[in-house]
Amino acid sequence: MDWAAHNAGYVLAAYGLSCVGLVAIALFIILQDRKNAKALRQQKD
Amino acid sequence: MQKFANPVVFLKLANAVLPWVWVLTALLFAIGLYGALVSTPPDAVQGEAMRIMYIHVPAAWMGLFVYVLMAGFSAVALVYRHPLADAAAKTAAPLGAMFCFLALATGSIWGKPMWGTWWVWDARLTSMFVLMLLYMGYVAVWNAIDDPHLAAKIARIIALVGVINIPIVKFSVDWWNTLHQPASVFTMKGSKIDPSMLWALLVMALAYTFLFLALHLVSMRSEIAARKLRQLRSNEIGAR
Repeated sequence: MDWAAHNAGYVLAAYGLSCVGLVAIALFIILQDRKNAKALRQQKD
Repeated sequence: MQKFANPVVFLKLANAVLPWVWVLTALLFAIGLYGALVSTPPDAVQGEAMRIMYIHVPAAWMGLFVYVLMAGFSAVALVYRHPLADAAAKTAAPLGAMFCFLALATGSIWGKPMWGTWWVWDARLTSMFVLMLLYMGYVAVWNAIDDPHLAAKIARIIALVGVINIPIVKFSVDWWNTLHQPASVFTMKGSKIDPSMLWALLVMALAYTFLFLALHLVSMRSEIAARKLRQLRSNEIGAR
């Protein structure tokens, strides 16, 4: 398939941006969860 | 329902279902992305650029769905004063904002090759932009106000007043002349999308829904821990 003739740049940009956005928010939430869980454990100790 | 609104029961349940939700999310993304990028045919008019639909439409649906959910949790918090409902609304907001942003951004990237412009102030795009501002305002209230009770009160009002924008977004393409196309999946005459493409779109929509569910559960667990921590610290200060 001739990707260049089929707006491949736009498709890649849209998928790339979605991937970065979703991974970024997932990482933020997971790291925040770990940080809060660790702080709670330490506070209880 | 009241039983699950107990933080201890909720955490037990969330921890038990989370691994399965993650596995299902990964599986749905794998199948959905294979369909979106490999097995579905290109569009007769739009060619390969149409593949942006498989990530743009689910993001837009989730942007709307999460706001309705947030308003529902806010209504429950307002009526029953249940702190877990406030936590559910608060933690849903950043996720909804991200879906809304991705819908706007991928729509803009799709618009350039199809419409010849990145952005127009038509009714659909503008109402979606307003939804993004509502999300940002809601998140800002929680972060800007130190007193969590006051922040919760103001945030609930924003969520409930802002829900009026949801039907405006949905029906904007019917009420006004827009550059954005009218509804093509859920219409009175059935879907206008060919089944060879529709299945991948629906799988991607399910993948986005499960991703939201997984991240929302983790985020709520984190919020409950943060609230417990605040409580323990304030008890410690009070005991001194």
